[in-house]
Amino acid sequence: MTGRVIVITSGKGGVGKTTTSANIGTALAKAGNKVVLIDTDIGLRNLDLLLGLENRIVYTIVDVVEGRCKLKQALVKDKKNPNLSLLAAAQTRDKSAVSEEQLKDICETLKKDNDFILVDCPAGIEQGFQNAVAGASEAIVVTTPEMSAIRDADRIIGLLSAKEEIESYKLLLNRVRPNLIATNDMMSVEDVVELLACDLIGIIPEDTGIISSTNKGDPIVNDEKSLAGQAYRNVARRIMGEEVDFLNLEEDKNFIGKIKNFFEKTIKEIKAKI
Amino acid sequence: MDNNSIENGFIVDLSNTKNTSQLIYELSSILDLPEARNKKICLKLGDTDLNQSQLLSIKALIESMQGEIGMIDTASVQTKAAAENLSILVTELKSEVEAEQTVTPEEIDKVLGIVTTIDGDDETHKENIPLTPIADFSEVAEAGGLILNGDSKYVMMDTTGILPDEQKNHEENPESLPTLYLNRTLRSGQTLSYDGNIFIVGDAHPGSEIIAKGDITVWGILGGIAHAGAQGNVNAKVRALKLNAIQLRIAGLYARRNDTYNVPYVQKSNEFTPEVAVLENNSIVIYKKLRRDE
Repeated sequence: MTGRVIVITSGKGGVGKTTTSANIGTALAKAGNKVVLIDTDIGLRNLDLLLGLENRIVYTIVDVVEGRCKLKQALVKDKKNPNLSLLAAAQTRDKSAVSEEQLKDICETLKKDNDFILVDCPAGIEQGFQNAVAGASEAIVVTTPEMSAIRDADRIIGLLSAKEEIESYKLLLNRVRPNLIATNDMMSVEDVVELLACDLIGIIPEDTGIISSTNKGDPIVNDEKSLAGQAYRNVARRIMGEEVDFLNLEEDKNFIGKIKNFFEKTIKEIKAKI
Repeated sequence: MDNNSIENGFIVDLSNTKNTSQLIYELSSILDLPEARNKKICLKLGDTDLNQSQLLSIKALIESMQGEIGMIDTASVQTKAAAENLSILVTELKSEVEAEQTVTPEEIDKVLGIVTTIDGDDETHKENIPLTPIADFSEVAEAGGLILNGDSKYVMMDTTGILPDEQKNHEENPESLPTLYLNRTLRSGQTLSYDGNIFIVGDAHPGSEIIAKGDITVWGILGGIAHAGAQGNVNAKVRALKLNAIQLRIAGLYARRNDTYNVPYVQKSNEFTPEVAVLENNSIVIYKKLRRDE
């Protein structure tokens, strides 16, 4: 088995790297893949909280590289899904505690018996970013439709494209608010894609459910009703190579609009069958 | 005669001088030293009585030697009053013996900043200790007739395959160990590690780690990880006014906070019940009140 190592990065902080990592990881594991999530945000770890695994951590990535435990001992199994495990970051150290080479080694070892290794990257472009990217061959750049986040994403894409090891990088647009796009108060998806000239792997709508899911430590992909959860599940399917249409977020809220949408959808399906 | 350089000044110890003339003689000879130049002079006067005019002449003497009088340490009421009249700072300087016994803030910062790992030396991790995952403490409660935490706030962790198989356990009395006393908040990412007991007046926030060879006592909310008896002392205990630790570790046994146990965002201090975690029958047991022998 040779697993794929995907780094999830953004440059800017607070755009949803960790939320994305937790959700895509959970969705991939739910689909039957063996997944390891690596938190490389040493000193400011959060991924364990989002997965609700904080109370299970005994060893961290720093213990692994410093030889206090074996890699296997440091992997924390998810509560719900045995296919998913977490390699937590140390909270009491800083980014210099691990090196690019060490992260590369860890990724290489994990590749052998896992389908996916998702690396949650810290904000910034310093050592933490360099470490996180070191072992990866694919990247997902998370951004929001805001000028500052896009500027930072552009910088990150530039850095990623200069790295030989990164074979492909995709854009994930997070916290999209269709009602604001409709009133021209937010950049549209097309605008962002054009600005960054990068392929899209997902569009995640703003969802208040994310807040409670984060606080509870239960990723939103576990909520079948949530639109954001659906969007993340679609991202996972796209990563696995399926062709999935982007969610229609601009769906009309009024009754006539809904009927119109329903007919359009049905006609499309009938056409596809013919 | 003893003098010490301190950060912002120069201590001159004159507490052993018998009269004013001897005092002035000693002082002038010390002020002659090159290291005393352009410094704030701190005078240790012991119980020598000085009046205002004598003190004024001492001040003039120091100023004539390119010095400046910083403060005065005195046990004499007369000297103190005289100094205050001349608006000279009067301070109680710590004696050297006291200074040696007190852990300075710099030392504490050092302890907080640096993770002192208890290395799994060949000596420390030997002899088998069975790790039995027990979730229910009620049996123990009935046997001992003791007050227990009924809400099963903690579950034992099955650390088989995670922790080293063997650990050498011992039953040292934690009371025989030295105690680090700390009056501050321990924040996320800070590790406090000490070869003895740790006593914190303040909260230990989630994300912090306290590792002690002996007991851990937190006069506040314990929210991080606490490892008492980290070198295998099965008699070690963890005490807190509010025991919310994400993980409790005593010797080689680990317990994690139950997933279903909800910790409110903010806790009111009037809801606090002192709790203590101890090792009993290879399980970590939490008592809501301290037992009489505690």
